[in-house]
Amino acid sequence: MKRNSWKEYQKQIADDRYYYARSCIRQNFFPGSEKAFIDILQNDLGRDLLDDPKHSSCTGIGYHSDIVPLETIMTVVARQFALMTEAGYENFVASCITSFGVYTEVLATWEEFPETEEKTRENLLKATGREFRKPASLAHTSDVMFHFREEIARKAKHKLVNALTGEPLHVVEHIGCHYAKIFPKSGIGGSEFPYVLAGMIESWGGQCVDYPERRHCCGFGFRNYLVQANRGYSIANSHKKLESMAPYKPDFIVANCPGCAMFLDKWQYAIAEMEGTTYGENGHGIPVLTYEEMAGLVLGYDPWALGMQMHQVDVEPLLDKMGIDYDPAAKYLGRNGKYIGKPASAVVNGCPPDTLYDMRE
Amino acid sequence: MAKYFDMLMEDVRFREGLNSCMNCGVCTGVCPAAEFYNYDPRQIVSIVQTRDEEAIERLLKGDTIWYCGECMSCRPRCPRGNTPGYVIQALRTLSQKLGFFAESEKGRQQLALKRIIGDNILRTGYCIVPRLVKPDLHPEQGTVWKWIFDHDKDIFPQFTPVYMRHGAGALRRLDEESLGEIDRIFEVSGGKAMFESIERHSDRKARELGYEEGADQRYMMDVFLNNSNEHY
Amino acid sequence: MKKVIIIGGGAAGMQTALRLAERGIEALILEKEAEAGGKLRGWHALFPTFTPAEEVLTELRRRIEEKKIEIRTRSEVRSLTPKSVTLADGQRLDCDAVVLASGFTLFDAAIKEEYGYGLYDNVFTSADIERMLNEGRVARADGSAPQRIALLHCVGSRDEKVCQQHCSRVCCITGVKQAMELKQRFPEADIFNFYMDIRMFGPGYEEMYREAQQKCNVHFVRGRISEAAPTLDGRIQIKAEDTLTGRPLRMSVDMLILLVGMRANDDSAALAESAGLQRSPSGFMAPRDHFLHNVESNVEGIFYAGTVTAPKNIGETLNEAIAAADAAADYLNE
Repeated sequence: MKRNSWKEYQKQIADDRYYYARSCIRQNFFPGSEKAFIDILQNDLGRDLLDDPKHSSCTGIGYHSDIVPLETIMTVVARQFALMTEAGYENFVASCITSFGVYTEVLATWEEFPETEEKTRENLLKATGREFRKPASLAHTSDVMFHFREEIARKAKHKLVNALTGEPLHVVEHIGCHYAKIFPKSGIGGSEFPYVLAGMIESWGGQCVDYPERRHCCGFGFRNYLVQANRGYSIANSHKKLESMAPYKPDFIVANCPGCAMFLDKWQYAIAEMEGTTYGENGHGIPVLTYEEMAGLVLGYDPWALGMQMHQVDVEPLLDKMGIDYDPAAKYLGRNGKYIGKPASAVVNGCPPDTLYDMRE
Repeated sequence: MAKYFDMLMEDVRFREGLNSCMNCGVCTGVCPAAEFYNYDPRQIVSIVQTRDEEAIERLLKGDTIWYCGECMSCRPRCPRGNTPGYVIQALRTLSQKLGFFAESEKGRQQLALKRIIGDNILRTGYCIVPRLVKPDLHPEQGTVWKWIFDHDKDIFPQFTPVYMRHGAGALRRLDEESLGEIDRIFEVSGGKAMFESIERHSDRKARELGYEEGADQRYMMDVFLNNSNEHY
Repeated sequence: MKKVIIIGGGAAGMQTALRLAERGIEALILEKEAEAGGKLRGWHALFPTFTPAEEVLTELRRRIEEKKIEIRTRSEVRSLTPKSVTLADGQRLDCDAVVLASGFTLFDAAIKEEYGYGLYDNVFTSADIERMLNEGRVARADGSAPQRIALLHCVGSRDEKVCQQHCSRVCCITGVKQAMELKQRFPEADIFNFYMDIRMFGPGYEEMYREAQQKCNVHFVRGRISEAAPTLDGRIQIKAEDTLTGRPLRMSVDMLILLVGMRANDDSAALAESAGLQRSPSGFMAPRDHFLHNVESNVEGIFYAGTVTAPKNIGETLNEAIAAADAAADYLNE
């Protein structure tokens, strides 16, 4: 895919000493990714990162479901900054696009409407006795991974290349709306041609696919997924993207935002169960990865240690393409190798559609 | 009493989001909600900028303002620097303050969001925890999630040393002191007042709709599950 | 004999020189490019009459030669005062007054990243289409004939996001004109104009708009295109709202033509600073006032002609050049 302008949208990304904020959705659905991020930073790259037990959710999902007022989320954000300040850190990294959007928006709002910052300081002091300094740098965890992409490429055990043919893998990168649509200058590459994932993909040997619905939302839509009555919105938008990308035969999808990764994975399951449609090869779904999982595979991490067994769409076809060694029998084992049964079969994993189950019931 | 427009202007998002609209439709052209619902963010902005109080009241009491998914795709494109998504956020906030949300089917769903996400934040410090994503309410989460849900204590600890316990790591239980701070933050910054307003107006509306016990679990599940299918 | 230096050798500059000559004043035209003619050089036909641009240009050049008016090409101006102009190479030329006729800069469509100009095959600008019409071959990137064409109005105009809040005025009529020219070449093609307002301000424009609809069956959709994306078969998928029905719209087209606007000349800021000239918020030069001194600058002895002060069509530009020349001549005769 061609892009001209990404170099015009650059930002400072700190090189070391990060204060890490976890994500509600990533730790729920991709706990292995959060672990991998910390491991890669600390062990592979030798960087300092603080995982502070006192920090909390940014409450962004509540904010964008409109039940958490702006004044409240600002104060929650201020508390996170206070914890960072007290710990002696100044580089804030958020593991979630919704959070990253929230932090960016809050900082911009304080800048534009200084009275809101004053009020927030007052609220925080009253509620917690804490005070804060604003971060010197704010980044999404993928920005940090992007920052180290060449260093990771030098340590690579695997490339994003088809091991049999030597051809680059075709990758759909999905950025997540709140990464740069709210503040285009806050994202590497801006809002139209974000480069944060593409930079990793290209450095690690893959090739990005441009497809008509590339910039379209995954379909989370907050209340439109969280309330069951509204989920048609969510699946319809994921469906639109999947239909649009499928003709390009992507080898996998990589998502910036944990929510997007989850929805693009799970809605493939739902579509397959409802309609029998699958979008990948040989009747399977398209594997959906987080960028931590992508980086982990490149660095030679075991896919099950990365938590890729927690995906609904099987990742084995991708692992085979990349020539990655893995133990198929170990996939669904519990702690200490304990056998805990396996998930039921599903159409999206190539099982016969006679198991079709009507989601609408 | 202040006019609705003036009340909206108290919200910084409204001041940031509404300059002037020339009805070009760029926002609606990329709006995921517009493709799905009978919804047009341009018209929302256009109505609001007329400052027509009756028209704004209809918005505050209707379904329309609840269709937006807050993806903010409208924001980077508007040639007049408006953000329809911010205007929506301000309208929704006001609708909940005034209790008008309870007058529409989509608005009434705020009770479910408050009870699921809001209460969970105060309970755990996170919007979502694994036990909240119950497979029977989330069939779309698939067979793997059901397997994870059923074996959470064997699966999550592979990735975190502190699953549902105190300490540093994913899916930990937040310490009582931090939870207390979050609770007080919600108290002093209006979060609790918002929750209370949602509960109170939902209860009133529930009784009006014939739920004798008010906004109980049955009412909550009804607003969570039922779709009149009159939105497209 | 009094001498006036005219900065810019386009339609405005040439017409100013001709009028000054009539008034017995010596004119020297400084042209930055290798050839005089300005933006008219790249244009195919003029609205609303489809007069070849070349015809107007040839006649202006003939008159310039006839009056033996000097045009110095490749002469970029660095700074000016009412009594002198300094070129980029440091050479200083003395004079008794200056007319600034340096025109506009065409908006760079690549800045509107969401339309993918320069990235996707088959996204063109209105200037590209004029060039293709001049070359006698309008085609898609693969050489095939388009079946469905969209023209988008207001690219780089009326747009806060790219700091161009003004209306460029001539894009609407250019869209109508090009739609008709394309329809003539591709009678089977469906052609859509995506617009916000159709601003038919000139004589014969409204009639042309009507003809485009009535005789040529050109479609007009009231809505600005939100984004363009490439499809697998080399077409362009566009999204917009049809604001008259209030529904979002998505379609694939064989060609997307961006009607690029006029923005303030890139050189204007530096020239204004060198001479103490005032500019409008749009970046265009600000006349001393909009009514009684609209070809004069705020600096005595410096005059304006043409699009250096605002977007204009060719007819207006030619008229204004006469007014500017007369104002300069009156000033010198005082």
